[in-house]
Amino acid sequence: MAADEDLVGHLANGDDTALRELLRRYERPLSAFIYRHTAGRDVEDLYQETWLRVVRQAARFDRTRRFSTWLFQIAVNLCRDWHRRPPPEPHPIADGTAAPHELGRVESALDAAALLSSLPEAQREVVILRYYHDLPEDQVALILDCPKGTVKSRLHNALARLAAVVRAENR
Amino acid sequence: MTAGEERGRAVGLSQLAEHVAECDMCRAEPLPLEQCAAFLSSSAVRVDVTALSQDTLRRLQPELARRARAVLWHRVTLGVLAALLPLPAVLAYDAYLLRLLYGLASAVLPAAFATYLVVTYAAFLVLLFGSTYAAIPLLVARSITPHHANQG
Repeated sequence: MAADEDLVGHLANGDDTALRELLRRYERPLSAFIYRHTAGRDVEDLYQETWLRVVRQAARFDRTRRFSTWLFQIAVNLCRDWHRRPPPEPHPIADGTAAPHELGRVESALDAAALLSSLPEAQREVVILRYYHDLPEDQVALILDCPKGTVKSRLHNALARLAAVVRAENR
Repeated sequence: MTAGEERGRAVGLSQLAEHVAECDMCRAEPLPLEQCAAFLSSSAVRVDVTALSQDTLRRLQPELARRARAVLWHRVTLGVLAALLPLPAVLAYDAYLLRLLYGLASAVLPAAFATYLVVTYAAFLVLLFGSTYAAIPLLVARSITPHHANQG
């Protein structure tokens, strides 16, 4: 079975078989990542845009790197850009800046997806990559282009927030 | 769970515990890890990945075709350039051979027949060169396509 990095080489030559194989390998983790990052909005556009960038930049891909890291870096950047766009209509949960007095209202409707949406972007990315994709902290740091210590502190802050929500729900 | 809905990957207690074990701040304030793990695991992803990938493949076909054409032309250009490099030397050598052949032939044969022989041989060489250069794009295209054929 060809390695991901070799398939990217074929992809740079316009080989659609290589793209099919990469899609098969990464369609679930990538779509799930985007879904959780954007709370299920514009998943199709972002998913397609991610692969479009993969195809366009395949010739410049450094084969000493892991393809999965590169793929998720592209997806992270696209999702960040997406969050910077003005939303088409107000979304009470997704902006992650709920004031403390609003927290109770938000928490009353919380499920895991809403909680993820309410986390600051940096924490959300760390939680998704570390817990939902089971990536080691080293790789999460590589994808997010930040030190491992930052990943740890973001995880801590996200867990603390999650714990607060869980405790509040139990009351 | 429907076909288009996928439960989130179960977030294991061990994953959270692993972080807590390394995190001084988390250890200082005990967290309800089991509930946190259960909470995170309840996240569902409602995406029809098969349709998503098919749409993506369809959308990217023009880009893939464009890349394949660009690669083909790049290789053809390089192949033709590489083949053209020794051409002056080959032509000079052939011209020398033709002159030699004409000298030998005209010594033993009538001049008109010797000329006919040499011109025929020259025409054969031109045809040979033409065929060789025409084959370059075909050979390059063939060197690219086996991967498609093998995996298709």
